[in-house]
Amino acid sequence: MKTISVLISATAMLAMANAQTLSLKGSDTLGAKLVPQLAEGFKAAGNTNVKFEIAAEGSTTAFPALANGTAQLGMSSRKVKDEERTYCHAQGVALTEYQICYDMICVIVNKNSPLAKLTSAQVAKIFTGQVKDWSEIGGAPGKISIYTRNTSSGTYKDWQHLAMGGRDYPSSALKMAGNEQIAQEVAKNKSGIGYVGLAYAKTSGTKALAIDGLEPVAKNAEKYPYSRSCFLYAPEKPIAEASAFIAYIESPAGQGIVRSVGFIPFKDLK
Amino acid sequence: MSKTDEVPHRFSKQGFSLEKAIRFFFASNAGLTIVILVLIIAFLLKEGLGFFPGYRRELEVYRIAGLEFVDLSRSNLTAHEQLSSVLNRAYFAQINGLCASELKRSQEAAAVFNAYSERSAATHDLIVSNLDAGIAPDSEMLATLRQNHAASTRKALAELPATPHLTRAERAALIQSIATREVSSKDDPPLVTALAAQYAAAQQTHAEPLAGLRGTLDAFDAAGTDLSALVSEMTVAVTATKEAIQAGDVLEKNRTTLVAAAAHAKTPAAREKLLADAQTSLAAKTDIDGPMQALMLRKPACIAAHADLRQACAGILDGLPAALSQPEAERLLRVARKAIPAFMANLEQAPQRIGQWRHDTPVPLTAAIGSFLTGKDWVTGGEWQDFYGILPLLVGSLMISLVALCLAIPAGVGAAIYVNQFASRLEQAVIKPVIEFIQAIPSVVLGFIGILVFGSVLRDISQFDSLAWVPGFPIEERLNIFTAGCLLALMSIPTIFTLAEDALNNVPAAYAEASDALGASRIQTSFRVIIPAAFSGILAAVLLGLGRVIGETMVVLLVAGNRIKIPDFSSGIGAFLQPSHTLTGIIAQELGEVPLGSVHYRALFVVGILLFAIVLGINATAHKFVSRSRH
Amino acid sequence: MNNPESLIRTGLPKGHGKDLAVRVLLAAGTYLIVIIAALLFCKIIKDGAPVLFTTKAPYVDLGFLLDKNETLHVFDDAQGQRHQLPASKYSEYVKHHAGATIYNEQTFSYSGGGIIGPIVGTVLLTVGSMVLALFFGVSAAIYLSEYARQSPFIHAVRLAILNLAGIPSIVFGLFGFSVFVLAVPVITSTPADRSLLILPLFFGDAVLSFQGWNSSLMAGCATLACMILPVIITASEESLRAVPQGFRDAALAMGATRWQAIRTCVLPFSIPGILTSSLLAITRVAGETAPIMFTAAVAAKDDLPWQALANPFDLLASQVQALPYHIYTLAARIPASEYTQRAQYGSVFVFLILVASLSFGSMLLRAKLRSKLKW
Repeated sequence: MKTISVLISATAMLAMANAQTLSLKGSDTLGAKLVPQLAEGFKAAGNTNVKFEIAAEGSTTAFPALANGTAQLGMSSRKVKDEERTYCHAQGVALTEYQICYDMICVIVNKNSPLAKLTSAQVAKIFTGQVKDWSEIGGAPGKISIYTRNTSSGTYKDWQHLAMGGRDYPSSALKMAGNEQIAQEVAKNKSGIGYVGLAYAKTSGTKALAIDGLEPVAKNAEKYPYSRSCFLYAPEKPIAEASAFIAYIESPAGQGIVRSVGFIPFKDLK
Repeated sequence: MSKTDEVPHRFSKQGFSLEKAIRFFFASNAGLTIVILVLIIAFLLKEGLGFFPGYRRELEVYRIAGLEFVDLSRSNLTAHEQLSSVLNRAYFAQINGLCASELKRSQEAAAVFNAYSERSAATHDLIVSNLDAGIAPDSEMLATLRQNHAASTRKALAELPATPHLTRAERAALIQSIATREVSSKDDPPLVTALAAQYAAAQQTHAEPLAGLRGTLDAFDAAGTDLSALVSEMTVAVTATKEAIQAGDVLEKNRTTLVAAAAHAKTPAAREKLLADAQTSLAAKTDIDGPMQALMLRKPACIAAHADLRQACAGILDGLPAALSQPEAERLLRVARKAIPAFMANLEQAPQRIGQWRHDTPVPLTAAIGSFLTGKDWVTGGEWQDFYGILPLLVGSLMISLVALCLAIPAGVGAAIYVNQFASRLEQAVIKPVIEFIQAIPSVVLGFIGILVFGSVLRDISQFDSLAWVPGFPIEERLNIFTAGCLLALMSIPTIFTLAEDALNNVPAAYAEASDALGASRIQTSFRVIIPAAFSGILAAVLLGLGRVIGETMVVLLVAGNRIKIPDFSSGIGAFLQPSHTLTGIIAQELGEVPLGSVHYRALFVVGILLFAIVLGINATAHKFVSRSRH
Repeated sequence: MNNPESLIRTGLPKGHGKDLAVRVLLAAGTYLIVIIAALLFCKIIKDGAPVLFTTKAPYVDLGFLLDKNETLHVFDDAQGQRHQLPASKYSEYVKHHAGATIYNEQTFSYSGGGIIGPIVGTVLLTVGSMVLALFFGVSAAIYLSEYARQSPFIHAVRLAILNLAGIPSIVFGLFGFSVFVLAVPVITSTPADRSLLILPLFFGDAVLSFQGWNSSLMAGCATLACMILPVIITASEESLRAVPQGFRDAALAMGATRWQAIRTCVLPFSIPGILTSSLLAITRVAGETAPIMFTAAVAAKDDLPWQALANPFDLLASQVQALPYHIYTLAARIPASEYTQRAQYGSVFVFLILVASLSFGSMLLRAKLRSKLKW
């Protein structure tokens, strides 16, 4: 028994560097669907020696993880904040930004709702809690149930900025862990409304609304009021596997996956 | 039990010996439990205690940047918006109530069509996308696809929702039009369009007599415009000030971090670089007085806007109708009437409050503690201002525990009494293992069942018209306090059952025998003698069950609905059917996402300390009862 | 009054109806619990068993148990045939049918392939934490039952055990995160900034840095071990005390030292009891989610923990998937649909079988032990 304890304490003391593990942390918008599929595509393209670990808890988690070295790449659905950049810098990690795709935040409602479009003013009123009943904006009578992402999400903050004029969410909003969960709840609640990334807008049982007359489809990406870029962040000198992965994402094969998952590749806009 | 080495015998070996070393080794392992407990407390405090100074600074920034000043006006503006929303709802409830049958017919027709398109979408899209790709219209493949589509259409048409408000002929016509619908058609079936038009027309008709009310409401809406514009304007200004202050704080913190990092730097070059960075990070002192003076200049405008709003509202609100014919509309109107006096009183006091507000009133540490313990808002990660108020979480935890205990005490204690006093040996042999098995079910599995099965079942049940009398029915959210409480009850039943049964077992047999000898019946013996004798043990069982329920995480995280708000008790017992968030759930949900060392991170540790204290208190009380129940 | 027999009451006693009513009510409540539990099991078995078991030999879908977890692709080919393929097979399909168009494609994260990763992770976490907890727990129990006398130290230990047993699992999660993930010592050449204390070690540029193990297998094991320690101590002490005092006295009378007496005459007889009750502790360790959320678990990992490691110690420093966390992910992160049902109910079913067999095994062993060991 004693030998076991010695062994355990000895191993516990050793710090280790994982050469071939590529650990990605951050945004759920990217990490729940797009990045795992990119990783699978990357491995299928012959890079079988790379090991992926993907944790998608929200964009905010990306930067501390990059700073303390527990992640080699950070996924973020918003731009890095100044204080986060300096925090990483103080830890000796200078961040490099890679813009990998475009995303549109879609407003979804239950399939059975008679609504097909909203104005951005109405959206702001709904999500700040000024309007509480569907009948106030021309829907079937019923109390509006608002589904939002949780606070660490880049989408949560982007939405507050893009759609709500910086005002706070009402306390009646339900915070969900991910896009899929929002879509699922809206599909089950006939008076629900929520916002999801474009990739999740086609969930069965829900429909995405046109905002100010613009359908949330790729060709409207630049005019649509709730568009944003998605990023990967890496240290200044990323490990070889990370650079190879980023190169793969920017290659036509990678951008094809981006398109098929439901994001908008950058080349489609330029 | 061992008395060998109390006093060392004079022949015993003195000094170090293997025997003593072994003894010391075991003793140190026993001491490990104390070390762990001390570490838990120490690290919770280490991470948590920094919260209050940090939060105090945030509240101070909230004041000196003027956000608090803007919130004085904004609270009235929000109240105005809420009141306006209630009145609008009353207006629309009146109209929709009057054209209820048109509405239902239109909805049912649309629901039928939606159900059909949902089910046949896969095969339909396949044909459309192939046609778009330019497939030959007479090709064999297209024929197969059409066949598939026809089959799925038939299947979809066989499972359409019920339409109690459509006539049989209308339903048949609708189904017919769907069945014969062209694949390429994008229009809704004629009946759906017609009914929607009918509904719109009915709305129009019923809106005409209410034109007066509409005018009043629009005027009421418009009355807030001035104040709203003023608030938005000030918001921009104070947000800028706040950002400047925070940027200053960040720069200062960066400078210290960089200087500290430089002290550890390995090479002189790296140190030079970090020090140079630190130099550039030197913040100019943020100017807060200038913006504040500018803000204070708006005081008269604010006061004037409030006075205008009050005057306008007073006139308009008198113009509300005395009563509305539809019950829902009438209810909302009453709600509005009830809210009006408070609203007007607030408007009246607002100028005075605005006049007295000062940005340099100090924010003491007790304000941060008070705001944490009695705050009704837990707002984090927002753009405006973060608040860490524990009440919504605490109330959520307590309400869920209440539901769980109300269900688990009768069931658990009842089962313990039954098994211990009345059940045959065979029954015991069945019931006990089953309940022990329940204990072995991991909580995440119960949460899984709750989210995938139980919640939806509960909502479906609540939508039966015959159950509409139950308060809170039909429920809006399938994930709510009651759902979570039911699952937690199931979790705590084994704890309560096992401990309560032990307590009953521990009652000396002589009690029962004496009671029997006096001619008491079985029930009398159980309820008058044994249960009172075991009472404190049963109470301990219940308390330990409560400790388990409050500390449970996964079920509430998955099933409680995660809405950070004190439930609305105005709906009576229906408040238990609303979603809520909990102490345990918030830690599990947010700890993974917060930057290390931030105020938000520390707030979660304070929640952990609170939870720790609550559960320890409950358990200590329980063990007091246990020791009292030893006979 | 001449006939004493007339004093004997006949028929049902007074209050029999009430008596019966109370019994029926209690019985109904009790069986309601049993029925609810049975319904719950039935639902999981009904939806989960078809995933794991097949009608053809070998009757078990080994693919579900032994494949890695992948994204599930659901799509129609041009013939209207619906395919459900995990990512690896999907890319093969695309390669084979180059140029063929795919319609109605949907993807479901975590829903394809099998669950070998979570199973292996749970086994590693359980084994690691049980080794730690048994080692320290049994040693502590030996001290408490064999050496200890009434003293303030023992009083404090008992109080600590009692309190540790009641602490909610999420608080253990916070504790594990702040201690094992962020603050325990490691030997490294690059100390992180958050380190509380850095001591030079004078060989190479190695330093002892109190910066924690990060989220890793060993941090998770240590957290779980702390959580389960009071249970193990209490159960072990009970087994040790069940060994008759005469065994010890006899050994000591023969001139054995106390440790010899414990080693030869007490431990061998209590080990079966200790192991039996630790089976129950295993069910708790295997089922906990909250303590490992921040200390060890990761939602997606495409290799098994021991694959592609630079050195064997890396295993302890790598994050793992775990069944309970996997189920949390499946319940909270992905929608419920006919395509995800296989992953969702299948995982829950496998997990429940694992836990139920452990707890059933411990019940059987306990019964057997009771009949066998009688002094």
